[in-house]
Amino acid sequence: MIQPQTYLNVADNSGARKLMCIRIIGASNRRYAHIGDVIVAVIKEAVPHMPLQRSEVIRAVIVRTCKELKRENGMIIQYDDNAAVVIDQEGNPKGTRVFGAIARELRQLNFTKIVSLAPEVL
Amino acid sequence: MLATLRSLRSRTLQPLKLGYLNSHRSISSSSSSDKLGFLDLQEVETILNDVKADDVKVIPVNQHCDWTDFMVIATGRSTWHVRNIAQALIHKAGSFTSILPISIIHLQVKQKQKGAERILLPSVQGHEGGKWIVIDSGKIIIHTLDENARAYYNLESLWTQKASSKEDDQEELYREFRL
Repeated sequence: MIQPQTYLNVADNSGARKLMCIRIIGASNRRYAHIGDVIVAVIKEAVPHMPLQRSEVIRAVIVRTCKELKRENGMIIQYDDNAAVVIDQEGNPKGTRVFGAIARELRQLNFTKIVSLAPEVL
Repeated sequence: MLATLRSLRSRTLQPLKLGYLNSHRSISSSSSSDKLGFLDLQEVETILNDVKADDVKVIPVNQHCDWTDFMVIATGRSTWHVRNIAQALIHKAGSFTSILPISIIHLQVKQKQKGAERILLPSVQGHEGGKWIVIDSGKIIIHTLDENARAYYNLESLWTQKASSKEDDQEELYREFRL
């Protein structure tokens, strides 16, 4: 359950470290974003000497949430953190590697690029 | 003692692993068994040859990830070329059915008409940008990139490295079990 003002970790090597969600893309008055949703976020913390700077506004895909993700077969996936992957307007990831486990729902939601960069798919 | 342990290990581990593999196979085979709109590895290779994609690499990844079997990576010379490669592959996937594939949009319109055969086309991502297009055809995932993107993302190193590291892990695990 990601909403505006939520802080997220960054699960790639794009150079950002912490994001703050400022808008959820989709419907006009959407409350919460879940895994696989695109958000507009602002970079709150960044690694020095990298292309992405602090206070830049970017788009990101949510890849992990503390709120549990339910599957039809009864499986429930819950991560320890909220994390997102920085993407550009075309949907290409800014970083070249994704860290941590990723849910396979992202593949159905047309983020195969992120899934294929990830080390582990749950 | 050791022998019993070993036999126990083989009895307990084998069915577990087999079961896991079987479940994986059944998932992937169920997606490919209906055959409609899905691509074969050989067909993909011939199409990529026909459209003159550079530096085609096929990486079998079924050992170390359970969500797909093959990664095909190809380079296009320009965004136009990359888009054309993707278009050719989808065209081929669409032409498995008897519907005349005039264009993809046409196919999709026809799909919704009554009496038309429903086909499942592979999903395409990144067609607008034309820098990195992914065609997700179930068992085979085809990455078409332009030269800059290919050097930037370096997908083949990612997948070949992962293969070796995972195998090492498994070997270590087996060794520990034996000791």
